[in-house]
Formats: sequence, C-alpha cells, structure tokens
Amino acid sequence: METQKPTPVIQPWTKEFWKATKQGKLFVQHCNDCNSNIFFPKKVCPECWSENLSWIESPGKAKVYTFTEMLDMVEPKFMGDLPYVIAMVDLPEGIRMTTRIVNCKPENVAIGMNVEVVFQDVSSDCALPMFQPADASLRIKTADQEESVTGAPEAETGLKPEDYQTIQYEIGGKNDAVCFITLNRPEKYNAINRRMAAELIDAFRRVRDILTVGVVVLAGAGKAFCTGGDLEIFPSLAEHQNSLNWLSHEGLDVQRAITSCEKVVICKINGHCLAGGLEVALACDLLYAKASAKMGTTEINMGILPGWGGTARLPRSMPIFRAREIIYSGRKDYTAKEMYDMGLLTRVFADDEFEAGFEKIVNNIASKKPIALRMGKEIMARSADGCDLETALAVERNGIQWLTYSPDIQELMDQFRARPDQLTQQQKQQNIKSDVNK
Amino acid sequence: MGKKNLAIIGVGEVPTGTYPGRSQWDIIYETCIQAVRDAGIHKNDVEAVITVAPQAQPQLTAEISFGMIPEELGLKGCKDVCICNAGGASTSNCLRLAEEMINSGAAEFILIPHMTVHSTIPLPDLINFFAKAGIDLQWEYPYGTTYNGIIAMMTRRYMYETGTTAEEMASVVVSLRKWAALDPNSIFYGKEVPSIEKILSSGMVSSPLRKRECNVLADGGAALLVTSAETAAKIGRPAAVKLGEGTRFFSAFTTTRSTEKVLEGFVKGTDEALAQAGLKKDEIDIWNLYMAYPVGHPLFMEAVGLCEPGQAGKMFMEGHTWPGGKRPWSPIGDAIGRGHTGSGVSTATYVETARQLMGKAGARQVPNAKYVFQNTSGGSGMNFIATVWGRNI
Repeated sequence: METQKPTPVIQPWTKEFWKATKQGKLFVQHCNDCNSNIFFPKKVCPECWSENLSWIESPGKAKVYTFTEMLDMVEPKFMGDLPYVIAMVDLPEGIRMTTRIVNCKPENVAIGMNVEVVFQDVSSDCALPMFQPADASLRIKTADQEESVTGAPEAETGLKPEDYQTIQYEIGGKNDAVCFITLNRPEKYNAINRRMAAELIDAFRRVRDILTVGVVVLAGAGKAFCTGGDLEIFPSLAEHQNSLNWLSHEGLDVQRAITSCEKVVICKINGHCLAGGLEVALACDLLYAKASAKMGTTEINMGILPGWGGTARLPRSMPIFRAREIIYSGRKDYTAKEMYDMGLLTRVFADDEFEAGFEKIVNNIASKKPIALRMGKEIMARSADGCDLETALAVERNGIQWLTYSPDIQELMDQFRARPDQLTQQQKQQNIKSDVNK
Repeated sequence: MGKKNLAIIGVGEVPTGTYPGRSQWDIIYETCIQAVRDAGIHKNDVEAVITVAPQAQPQLTAEISFGMIPEELGLKGCKDVCICNAGGASTSNCLRLAEEMINSGAAEFILIPHMTVHSTIPLPDLINFFAKAGIDLQWEYPYGTTYNGIIAMMTRRYMYETGTTAEEMASVVVSLRKWAALDPNSIFYGKEVPSIEKILSSGMVSSPLRKRECNVLADGGAALLVTSAETAAKIGRPAAVKLGEGTRFFSAFTTTRSTEKVLEGFVKGTDEALAQAGLKKDEIDIWNLYMAYPVGHPLFMEAVGLCEPGQAGKMFMEGHTWPGGKRPWSPIGDAIGRGHTGSGVSTATYVETARQLMGKAGARQVPNAKYVFQNTSGGSGMNFIATVWGRNI
C-alpha cells in the first residue's frame, strides 16, 4: 500500500508546467494556431490537433467556482491533512482547475471569492499550485505575523481556546486557581479524534503558563468521561505510518502534555471511561470516580493493546496481577468500585454524593500554593518512576529546600521571623481546614 | 434483415448486502441460473455471455474474460464471451453489444451477468480504487479529492445556483430510501426511512454532503437474459422491450466538465430516446434514474423539464416521487437506496425496469406501468445513456 502522498503523474508534455511551478510560476498551455488555452495540458491541441503549442505565464488570479471542506472518508494518506478545502477555481485565461484553498479558515471560503496562486512543494520535480484568499484580511496569519497580545505565550499548535471545537477550557475557582478542561463531544461519548488530541495538547501546554492555576480538572461533558479513540480514526490506522503517528504523536503528546503541565491534574470520571479514555485518565495525578462509572481497556478485543500509555501505566498504577487482568480481559464493565478494590482509583463516591464530594476535594487542593503542588508532582513522578531510594530522597530534599527558600514562601517567612508564635497558630488553622473528619 | 428490438425476458438477482463468506462464483451461479429459469429457456440455448466488468476485482475480471462463466455453468451452446467496461455505464453497453449480436444473427439468447463483492477487498485497496477511478492522477488526485468530494462540489454549486435548501437535498434521500424500504434486494429493505432531520444530523463528510447522503459500498449480483422482441413474443414470455436510446459523452473528469454541456446532454439524449420510441415525456410511467448521488436527480428533473427550474427539491419533498406519487422515481432507490455495488447499480436498475414492465416488482409495482425511462452513466459522470423501455406487445 502507498504510504506517501501522491505526486502528480507527469507526462512528457507537462514537464514544462511542473518545472515552472518550482520557480513559483503558473503556466497555461496555449495553442499558437487556434489561440485556445488548454487545460489539462495535452500533447496536441484538443481543438485543432495542432502541435504548435506554447506556455503563457498566468498572473495566478482566480475565482472560486465551487468548493468542499473535506472532513471524513479520505484515503489514509490524506487523513493527516483533515480538514482541508478542495475547490474548483476559474482563471481569467478561461480554464478551470481543481486545487486546494489554503491559508484560509474553511468557513471563510465562498463561491465567487477571489483567490491567488501559492505553491506547495511536493517533490523535487514539482510544486502543487494552490490558492489563498486575494484579500489578505481573510488569510490565516502565519506564526511570525502573529503578535502576542496576551501574557500567555501561544502554544506551538497555533490553536486558541476560543477556537476549540472538541473541548472546553475555563479558568475559575477561588483566586483563579482551577482550570477546567472538559472533553466536549457528548454525542460521541467524548471519543477522541485528531482535533481533540490537538486541542488537549494545546490546552495542557497553555495552562502550564498560568501562574494562578494549581489544579486542572479534566472531565467529560454529558454521560461519559471518554470512550477512547473515535471510530472515525480507525480507517486511517490501516496505514502503518498513520497508525504509528497516532500513537507516538497524538498519543504520546497528549500524555506528555498532561504529565508535564506542572499542575495537579484531577480526573473526574463521571461515566464510561474506556480504552484511550482510561489511558488519558492514567496520565492524570488523581482519579475520582462516580460509583456508576464503568471502566476497562477493550483494545485486545481487536487484537491490539492499549497504546496511549495504558499497557505501560496500568501495571505501574496498581498491583500488576490485577492490571494484567484488565488488559487481557478486554472487559468494559469494571465498575468504579471494582477498580478501586483492585487498587486503581483514588476514591469512589456514591452517585448522589459525587459532585459535592469532588468539589470539596478540588477546592481543598486548589487552596494550596501552586508552586508546592508543582514541586510535589515532579518529586513524586521521579520517585514513582523507580529510581533508587537515595536518588529519590535527594530529589525530595533538594526540592523541598528550594521550595522553602522560594521567594513565595520567604515572603511569608519574613513576618514569622518577627512573630514566631504566629507561624504555629496559622499552621494549625491551615491543617484543620484541610481535614475532612472534623 | 430489419432491425430487431432488444427484449429482456429473464432476470436474476441476489439481495445487495455484505457477503464476505460467499464466494463470487457462488453469486454468479445463483443469478445466472435464476435469469435463465426466469426466461423459461434451456441453459444450452444461451449463445453468448457478455459480462459487466467487475470493477476493482482484477482476478475475477481475468477469470470471466477468459470464459469461466460458460465453463462453470455448462452453457454448451455458447458461441462467444466478452467483458464490457464503461464503469457504471457497462450494462448499457453489454445490452448494445447483445442487440448487435441478435440483429446480426450471431446469437439469439444472451446472458448478461454482473457480480461485485466489495467486502473481501482490503479496505485500503478499496478506498484507493475509488479515490482514483475517474479522478485524474496529475491534476486532481494529488490534492486529496474523492468521489464524495467531487459530488459535494457539484452539490454546492447546484444549491448555489438554484437556491435549493439542505432540507430539499435531504428529501431526495428520503424519497430514494422510501423505495428501497420496499425492495427485498436493497440493503435498506424493511428498514426505517430516515427523516430529513436525521439525514441532516448525520456527520458531514465533504460539505455540504453528509454521511447519509453518501453511498454504502455493498456486495451484490444480477443477471439479465435478453433476446429479440420477436423471439420473446414467439415463445410467449413477458418482456421489457427497448424502444429508444440517446447518448452523450461529456468528459473524463469533473474539472474539465461544464455543467451547461451536461444539462444540454441530458435534454438531447432524453429527447432522442423518446423520439425513437415515438413517445412524449408525459407518457413515461416511471423515471428510473441512476445518478449514484442525490444531486443528479433534481438536476436531471429540472433540465428535462419535468418541473419548473429550481422546483425539483420540492417535488421530492412533497412526495411526488415516492411510492404512490404521481411521478414514480428510481424505484430501487438508486445507489443511495440500493447499496453501491460498483457498476452493478446500473445492472440492478435495468433489472428493475424489466421487473416493472413484466409486472414482477412486488410492493414497488407501479400499477399498469407501460413505459419506463432509464439512464446510466459511467466514471465520475462521464456520459449519459438514456433508454426507453416498453412492455412486450
């Protein structure tokens, strides 16, 4: 099976056309005998069979005749491009070309829109003529044209929270200490498609730079937390390279975005949490589930295994003999209680107590200093990764020493140096506030 | 020797579906035997086999090209075989070739089988085949076009020019599915007909085309047994007789195809077929259209003047094209309603034309149907073959 994107199948009489594209020129074939312009270029003029043909250089202006936004059911080799806009454009030279409209949001493309040619290199022999809006204000700004207006630097993907289509991103809670990232495809049980993966990566990288936030709540809208990879992805996985990329790009990047976001990520499991959904949960720091939630990894039923970190993380997240059962059985009906008894979850709440109980926990953790939560996440992660105890203790010791002497804590310390009794008093109060059994 | 009219006197068909476990030859046996028995002739009366090219199935193509059908079926009287390929227009050309052989006296009874099993073709190969068929490898394919994409672009332009709404486009699917629900050979037989809302709530594939406005690839097979109208009358078989034909070629690719030329071709091809048959539009009882996607239906209806310009959407929406409506339209529900069997949808369309005229169409039977108009088209809509059929006199 072909894995590379197709390049144009060039004929001897179209070589000149493609050579010109490499120099950024758009040629139109012209018959010197009957004066007609010809597209697709031919060996002889289709009007008069003359062989006296030449090329004229087109200014590359055109009007959109019709277009479509490709969203689904394309060949695996084009899946990575989705969504993309295919169009037919009319050139004043009297020819119509099939092309792509680029540098433009699909919703801004319209019939009759003026466009101009741009070239996209596809091989050493040729560049594909594509078209962008002639009106520069309709073009998507490229990264170097974009001015950073907010304090938070743009994440690498070029996405912004207001563009998110598959997740919600909201900062709230007391002192803006909580970021709520909610998987938001309830009609699809929050199944993960490429868009959602990209948005999750963007959101977790983005929140890393928000200093007020100490806690991220990852939840699912509607009845499920997440049922894993969207079936719409599957056809594309038939292609080796795409499949590997889905695991190593989208998959690994989502996990890394969560584990390296430097916030305590609290996963709120309110319903089905299956396959890739469970794997995303495993990358989080704390897992709270509603009693009615159902969990499991179903990959083995297709003859594969959890590939978004599940096969590696489950045995590290619970006793290994229980983890193996989950992976090998392919069951999707483990109850939250069962999972808890097997050692996986942080805590399970009765359905009617879930919301209130969860909120309390989040509020409590969010009241801690983000800098301490961040350091805690790092020390525990390194330690749990299985380095030797002496190394772990050194990481811990030095981390905490650094914390103690961080400007944040030192500011507090200044007042306590003046009144040591106040330190003890305040600490007692803070301790009591964090308790549940009062 | 005067020109004889072609007559379909036997049909055979397996329900369209998914048969990964069923061998291609198993289907060929069933449909061919059905057609020969339906015609009431002996197997050894079959003097030629002209097969609809099995697209995307190279091994089967080779087997059939080299004579395996008469061999397997023991057609001892067979004088010749060949495969005929013009994509979705293949069956029309099989029929024409048969007509010539019958007219020249080369054969009296001719078998025209079709067989497609999509479900055993590996998905990437299938997607690849349909991504490239009728799509230019130099000027279209590298951009990531697909059949759905091409049709989506045609649909958008049609809606733009006529003001047809998304609801009206969806109503074409409703109409086709209403027929399909009555057709035991459709994948949607007996299934709930989706509402306009349900169609519009299905996922967008290539805007403005949604999942339920696209075709489901399926397996299927059919066979026609043809002879001359004269012979049909002589042996006393009910028959569908070809009365007229008109053809136009447009272009190999959609990029190079002008809508104006297509519309003009629809009109001229239809007029020629009707004129040959000595009929007027109003005398046609069933418009049995093969358009593969929704957009061709309103486009054709308006071009040929079966409604006011821009009003075709309403015809479908208001139910005129439904079973029992005043303008019965595509009674197997086209590829949308039948399931897409490659070039086989056109074979199935001819089978339906014959059934309606033989009075064998069951719940879809249009009462007293005397004249059926039917078309086929190949590739990405490269051509238009209009034919008019009538009952045996």
